[in-house]
Amino acid sequence: MSDTPILSIRNLHAKVADEDIEILHGVDLELGKGEIHAIMGPNGSGKSTLAKLLAGHPGYEATDGTVHYKGEELLDQEPDERSLAGIFLAFQYPVEIPGVSIANFLRTALQAREGKDAELDLFEFQDALLDRMELLGMDPSFAERPVNDGFSGGEKKRNEILQMAMLRPELALMDETDSGLDIDALQVVADGVNKLHEENPDMTVLIITHYQRLLNYLKPHHVHVMVKGKIVRSGGPEVAEELESRGYEEFKTAQV
Amino acid sequence: MEGVTEHLNSDAVQALASGEPQWLQNRRMDAWASYERTPMPTTRLEEWRYTNLDRKLKLATLEPLGWSERSFSKESAPARLVAEMEADHESAGHLVELDGSVAHVDLDPALASKGVVFMSLRTAVSEHPELLEEYLATRALPAERGKFQALNAALWTDGILLYVPRGVQLEHPIRVSRWLSESGKALFSRTLIVAEEGSQVSYVDEILSDDLDAQSLVSSAVEVFAKDNAQVQYVSLQRLGRGPFHLSQQRTIAGKDSTLDTLNVNMGATTARVDLNAQLVGSGANSDMLGLCFGEGDQHFDHNTSQDHVAPHAYSDLLYKGALDGKARSVFRGIIKVHKGAQQTDAYQTNRNLLLSETARADSLPNLEIEADDVRCSHGATVGQLDQDHLFYLMSRGMSREVAERLVVIGFLGEVLSKLPLGGVVAKLSRAIEEKLHG
Repeated sequence: MSDTPILSIRNLHAKVADEDIEILHGVDLELGKGEIHAIMGPNGSGKSTLAKLLAGHPGYEATDGTVHYKGEELLDQEPDERSLAGIFLAFQYPVEIPGVSIANFLRTALQAREGKDAELDLFEFQDALLDRMELLGMDPSFAERPVNDGFSGGEKKRNEILQMAMLRPELALMDETDSGLDIDALQVVADGVNKLHEENPDMTVLIITHYQRLLNYLKPHHVHVMVKGKIVRSGGPEVAEELESRGYEEFKTAQV
Repeated sequence: MEGVTEHLNSDAVQALASGEPQWLQNRRMDAWASYERTPMPTTRLEEWRYTNLDRKLKLATLEPLGWSERSFSKESAPARLVAEMEADHESAGHLVELDGSVAHVDLDPALASKGVVFMSLRTAVSEHPELLEEYLATRALPAERGKFQALNAALWTDGILLYVPRGVQLEHPIRVSRWLSESGKALFSRTLIVAEEGSQVSYVDEILSDDLDAQSLVSSAVEVFAKDNAQVQYVSLQRLGRGPFHLSQQRTIAGKDSTLDTLNVNMGATTARVDLNAQLVGSGANSDMLGLCFGEGDQHFDHNTSQDHVAPHAYSDLLYKGALDGKARSVFRGIIKVHKGAQQTDAYQTNRNLLLSETARADSLPNLEIEADDVRCSHGATVGQLDQDHLFYLMSRGMSREVAERLVVIGFLGEVLSKLPLGGVVAKLSRAIEEKLHG
């Protein structure tokens, strides 16, 4: 990493906002521009907490350490500011918004990027939406459906990828995007992310996952293992393969 | 003699009745007697459990608005009234009522020549007594139905008569704009709609005021008859300013194979109570009943609905939604009543509420009373919160907190509007919701 990292996490401690339970016990991580990283870990290791904290979820609170995004302190920014600065979180459990179509939702999100004084060009928006849906192999009628309302698990995740394609983030955080998906849906989602990364090789991706299977389709440059709120191992793609054959057990015991 | 006050008394009724035909004088006096006999509803009654009239309605302070000769011009009318009238789309006729007296009526002459009657109730007393004798406060909302039904039947000053003859279909809606300007008053107005066999009409009633510094009571009694095969839509847009107590008592009576749909929108007033009884008296009758309310501050909305299935093979479907911010409160109490013999009834009832603050409250009390054995009925109610996960999801896409809340509320209430085939009303309400969200 010769350039300044896009994201730099130092000794990050964090807890649930209303409780005194520390979940992250000193995380260090650096992501370089355009890199694909994966954080793997067992349930309860704190990996999803890290993703939510980076996006600004009000339910979590950093108690120590620093996070710098593009050289600036991130943790005091509101979630919408972080989004406007280029951070995108693909949710593990996307929220349903009945009565609001995906198109309307995206239009509102893109209007927020234009600021108060400029109007989003609706023709350009429509063209961009159709273009992104075509890239991801989606039927245009999908955009008319209410956001996540009655969606299958696969549809919810595809909607996350469509949003990512429209918002063009510089840093995409994929929080357990593979959970609850069958292998076909997993492949569709992974293909989408790959296409977006091919199109914009400067986009940095952080994949949070329990399982190795997503990494068969989304090839990370770096793999980190998180156990009990700390990164206990970092390396190349081979770390994921190690985990696949040996599981998390030895990391868990190594911690104690 | 609860509710008889310095200003609301038999003298006030007599003053209104003087000079009226005998049948109407009798009707008013009988209604007043019924009012005096009927005790004031208290929270001990299930129907009034959540609206304490003792605290919410200062009846003793209110003076009834008498009838007066009014004229209407856009130059001299209140700005808000004119703005809302001009926001209206094409209409078949328009009526303006100012402080309980009709000030203007126009009707497409082509419809008038087909026999459509659209006029002030006061004019109708002399021009169409046969219609009023038959329908006014008789079959739908007679004084015996309750304390406030009786009060309105005794003290109404003016109102609206719409009569659509057999087979006549109106392409554009009839629009009524009602305006209240005075504090400390009690306004009694009635609406009577009679749609004869095979006719078709949409009717949009909008009531408006500025914010008032003291309470006024607006009592609206609405009687709607759809005869066999008629199609009627009745829309009530309550967009009063703060201060007034709005009491809207509505009864719709749907004949054989008719469609009689209603929409009740409550955005304004400090307290708004809607009593809606939709009676399906002809087999194959249909009633879609839509409602939405959006409250903030200390607004209090109380909806009391009844899907009253008398005839077999009839269908009713109710959807009421409420979004509540601040300390606003809504109550929904709805009953599906299927009478003996109303076999093959289809009746559904849904009430959904969205709380936007920790201090807002919604109570939902759906109820079924079924005396037939071959029916399909369901009811459901939810009270949900705009929680931190919702907001976080939207904000993580770059929307500010305000924009995020607005999108969720518009989506939530939009489900009701999307079922309404009146484009002008939908556009107007979408704007009104947005305005209220902007604060």
